[in-house]
Amino acid sequence: MPLTEQTMTEQTGPKTVGQLPNTSTSTPLAPAVFTRLVWTLFVASLGALVARQLTGGHWEIPGLAAVDGLTVLLWVVVTFFSGIVHSYSRRYMAGSEHITRFFTRLFAFTISVMVLVAADHVALFGAAWLAMGLVMADLIGTVRGWPQARAAAALARRYFLASSLFLGAALATLAWATGATTISGILTAVGTVPDATLLVAAGLLLLAAMVQSALVPFHSWLLSSMTAPTPASALMHAGFVNAGGILLLRFAPVVTADATFMLLVVVAGATSALLGKLLKAVQTDVKRKLGCSTTGQMGFMIAQAGLGFFGAAIAHLILHGFYKAYLFLSAGEQVEHTSPATSEPGTVTLVGGAVTVLTAVAGGALFALLTGKGTHFDSGLLLTGLISLTTLHATWTAVRHTDVPAAIRYGVVPLVFLPAIAVYAGVYTAVSAVLAGVPLVTAPAELTLVHGLVAVAFLAAYVAIETGLYQRSRRLYVALVNASQPSTGTLLTATEEYNEY
Amino acid sequence: MNTDTAISESIEQATDSVGSVWPLHSFVTANPLAGFEDRPFHEAVERAEDLLGGDGYPSPHVFRQAWETGRIDPDVLAEKLAERGYEADPEASLDRLESRADRTPDVETAETPADRVDAVLTKWLAAFLDQGTATWSMPDREQGFYAAVRSVAPHDGDIPDGSADAWPAAPADAIERVLDDQPRDAWPAIFEHHLTALPGWTGFIKQRAAADGAWQSTYPITLAGYLAVRLTLSDLFDAQVLPAEPVTDAEVTDDDGVPLEEVWLSAWEASYRSELVEAVADRSATAAEADGGRPDAQFVFCIDTRSEIVRRHIEAAGDYETHGYAGFFGIPMRYEGYDADVSVDACPPIVDAQHRITDRPTADAGDRTAYDRWSNVRDAGAKLVKSLKANAATAFSYVESAGSGYGLALAARTLLPGRVYDARDAADERVPDDHEICEPSVDYNPDAVTELREGLTLEEQVEYAATAFELMGWEEFARLVVFAGHASQTANNPFDSSLDCGACAGNPGGPNARVLAAICNDDDVRAELRERGIEIPEDTVFVAGEHNTTTDEIDLFDESVPESHADDLEQLRADLETARAGAAAERAADMGADEDHGVRETERRAADWAETRPEWGLAGNAGFVVGPRELTENLDLDGRSFLHSYDWSTDDDGDALEAIVTGPLVVTQWINTQYYFATVDNGVYGSGSKVTHNPVGNVGVYQGNGGDLMTGLPLQSLMAADDEPYHQPLRLSTVIHAPVERITEVLADHEAVTELLDNGWLSLTVVDPQQDHRAFHYDGELTWTGHESIEATAATEPSTAEASTEATADD
Repeated sequence: MPLTEQTMTEQTGPKTVGQLPNTSTSTPLAPAVFTRLVWTLFVASLGALVARQLTGGHWEIPGLAAVDGLTVLLWVVVTFFSGIVHSYSRRYMAGSEHITRFFTRLFAFTISVMVLVAADHVALFGAAWLAMGLVMADLIGTVRGWPQARAAAALARRYFLASSLFLGAALATLAWATGATTISGILTAVGTVPDATLLVAAGLLLLAAMVQSALVPFHSWLLSSMTAPTPASALMHAGFVNAGGILLLRFAPVVTADATFMLLVVVAGATSALLGKLLKAVQTDVKRKLGCSTTGQMGFMIAQAGLGFFGAAIAHLILHGFYKAYLFLSAGEQVEHTSPATSEPGTVTLVGGAVTVLTAVAGGALFALLTGKGTHFDSGLLLTGLISLTTLHATWTAVRHTDVPAAIRYGVVPLVFLPAIAVYAGVYTAVSAVLAGVPLVTAPAELTLVHGLVAVAFLAAYVAIETGLYQRSRRLYVALVNASQPSTGTLLTATEEYNEY
Repeated sequence: MNTDTAISESIEQATDSVGSVWPLHSFVTANPLAGFEDRPFHEAVERAEDLLGGDGYPSPHVFRQAWETGRIDPDVLAEKLAERGYEADPEASLDRLESRADRTPDVETAETPADRVDAVLTKWLAAFLDQGTATWSMPDREQGFYAAVRSVAPHDGDIPDGSADAWPAAPADAIERVLDDQPRDAWPAIFEHHLTALPGWTGFIKQRAAADGAWQSTYPITLAGYLAVRLTLSDLFDAQVLPAEPVTDAEVTDDDGVPLEEVWLSAWEASYRSELVEAVADRSATAAEADGGRPDAQFVFCIDTRSEIVRRHIEAAGDYETHGYAGFFGIPMRYEGYDADVSVDACPPIVDAQHRITDRPTADAGDRTAYDRWSNVRDAGAKLVKSLKANAATAFSYVESAGSGYGLALAARTLLPGRVYDARDAADERVPDDHEICEPSVDYNPDAVTELREGLTLEEQVEYAATAFELMGWEEFARLVVFAGHASQTANNPFDSSLDCGACAGNPGGPNARVLAAICNDDDVRAELRERGIEIPEDTVFVAGEHNTTTDEIDLFDESVPESHADDLEQLRADLETARAGAAAERAADMGADEDHGVRETERRAADWAETRPEWGLAGNAGFVVGPRELTENLDLDGRSFLHSYDWSTDDDGDALEAIVTGPLVVTQWINTQYYFATVDNGVYGSGSKVTHNPVGNVGVYQGNGGDLMTGLPLQSLMAADDEPYHQPLRLSTVIHAPVERITEVLADHEAVTELLDNGWLSLTVVDPQQDHRAFHYDGELTWTGHESIEATAATEPSTAEASTEATADD
């Protein structure tokens, strides 16, 4: 009889029948080691940030790497996200046969981003950019034997190789035109480069940024990347896609050289921002919905850069990282039992309307006052206008909930939303302070017709969505659904393929 | 025969091949191969493998592990191998299994027209079947699936342009158009081929159409509509319309040999079973008849395997008696919680809900106002955030304003999951629970205008109470009787409902317990029960409760307990804490965690968003014991056995036995086969690993980017690690404590159950208290091993046959 598991302790207790085997799963070393390492790096980065702020020091390995405000800030940010993802994965990925490889890739990704933001030599910068892409593609294909994961990884790899080629071409052009091999050297010599050459380089940089940040029309890799384990997706959406914004800030003197080109950046970003949100509206699965949202948010971030507010772009990518990492890591929470009935919102009284408008004005004013954006007649007005619109919408939505006590209805926005704007302003100011010294962190542009059109587009989108007007077009619906489909080869339509390896 | 009839009849014939798939928020347990139960097990799994591609037996690796750790009795194995004409050497036999399994699978990578059909079809299925995820839903859904696809098709560049009449107005015409050349008697096979191509989605459609809930009546979809779309697409894409080669039943039955895997599996099962049966038979012979003395309290738990653990620890904590009963407490009800948007059927799918029970507020206005205010504010907040995130113009500023908050939550939930549990617990304390401000609408309300009658008539109440006590064989009542339903507590888990009460269709069992407790506390009911010979003492108070299967905390809904019982209740609470500590330590150890901090560990798992194995659920289930608790008391069954209380000596007419055999026995078999198949093929009959799950449409999960809906339990519910099963894939071994003749009579009356047994979907052993407590194993067609003499005429005579039962043969 298989009663071999009877141990000494059980002799006193009840007799054991049919005991299950002890599942003493071996715990590999890599998760614990890398998790400690990455948190150590986080503490060190934090120390470096503080030290740099206090001493104002500028550290460099001449010709190879240079540490400035952007470097230490992003070191802190990427090690924080990576630390969270490492700690989360220690429990989440427990028992996975891929766990050691998964953690080495997570850590390798972290290191490649840290190198990227510190790199001064163009070759090192290009290599880190490429490494970052290859490691991320590998994470998408973490489950080796799963054909759909392999297809998704291959697709992403092709995109990242293309972005590396764009970047390589841009770097080669700039190095050839300036004769410098370091980024700092190139940037100081930008004034000597012919406009046409600069425009070509800027165009290539924008393309590389758009691919890496998954902007429309380069969003397909991102929407086909859900074969990655959830924490890898969190890191991708909180860390990897930010590379586009970082690239544009690093080469801000090149990108901003031509004011018309900046308009192109704004249009590219705003298009993606609005399309990303529209794509999101038709999604039925949680992760692709988050993917579309990222495409939109990254578009907004690039648009902020295009408006000349690079600091705002960096603040946005950090805050978006918190938001999106949280939503990915909690993706399993979003299954609910719903009913097809929809509830009608209540009506708004005159007082409610007045409160709404006043709060929105206050929101915009607070934002302008604390961030300095929108206090001049320049592109910053767009950002202030947007925050006013958001405050307006929040208040409008809140006061219509007539089943909630009036004090809460009218109080929620002034008491919760306005402080939230203040917190954002605090983050923005802190980011700007740390970035002080990085070339061209804030370069507001003159308002042009294009800016006006972008503002109109946002307003039109707001009204269209609120009224549901856009939902009348079947053609638009189908176009959005099709534009957000993952590549066919990455769909698991025959579930027996999932574990036939 | 017109087209519509031909279609519906052909679908009728083909639809069994696809198992029903329930929406994820009410994870109902079912045998994924339920449609094949009319065949012997090994034939069924072979047929299912042809159609669905799923494995039907554990892998050789799993058998080898079981063999090497001594879980398969060598003698039993040798006997079974010889019986089926296989070579007797186990090692050689394992090698043979392994060499056959070594074939490298041929996974096609080239894209075929069928892949393109699948891609387009899954795209529109996901859009149509969405239950509130998208803010912009598919147009024209109210006209049905075929019409909705027909309306988007002209705009969809992925669908090849067909001739103008490619999409006739009626789905039947579309099917007719494509299958014009095919004889009608070939239709069932063609339909089967197309229904099994995406079994996740078609299983969901099948269930949705049958259940006819709110979503289905608003946006109707039928299998005929699905087939119309699929056949039209197949035609337009030039994909194969006919099955590769018509597989007929004749082909399958050609090979009537029993596969080697079946031999190994049954030897493994017999090894487990003999241990269980031996222990039960042993106790049957020695257990003292009711020890007299009234216990301090009696508990009724669900038959769920997890109850076995906590029951053992409760009995050890004081003078308590515990019983097992189906966790919906026999009340087939549709329950609507206070301020809930939806109602749920809180009963196993084997019965239809017959009563509508709603939570009605009772408590003083203060509590209720606090509750309402809190839930309204929470709802309004959630709607505000949703609206800000949804609008293209506001989402960006929202992210900037709220980002820092998400950052803090990110750090707290990842780095301090234990504190998150404490915070939630503290928040719960501040707000009254719904059971504190409400009571279920038990009494029949003739004025209620609902689909189902609201409440229960007095006769029905008496009937449900009497049935409960008769099935469990109760004759004595303690001062406190606790009906404990159960529910799990997990975070970030789309499969949370799979850990709730299976007998309540994947819902918490607390509401059902409250209804039965309310019934039993009613004076009129007690008077009627007295008429029927069930004497409940004046001082007996029934209390409902809910067992939290993740933390083993038992929450008592004690609002209605009179002051006279306050002391009893206090003592009970203290003992439940002790029992909880013991149970939690045991369960923490089962999960490979530190048992010294069992309570803390289970609390952490309940709240940790990064935890993919919050608890083991029913993993490990392998046995079902029907009989008095004395048979299993003082046995540690390691949470592997369902337990139903039953006393043959109080069940002269066999009605209670009949109810158990046709009800709980069948449901436990569903649960068991669900765990079995998800373990042997986690891709086809399970949902795969949680780490790459992607919830879709509030109804299910994808693996990765999309495609077919995944069905069944996820890998982490079954496996300790990717390559190490925790659940032992064994078919259910049932042990019933009753005279064997009585069971034969019940089986003779219930063909459906007998068919399951005859086809080997579960096994049955009887420990007969009238025949020297010997065990008889069901041997098919109403015969019993070692009990040849059973005839209707000689039923009362004690058998003198030699005991050569399985239970004792192997010692």
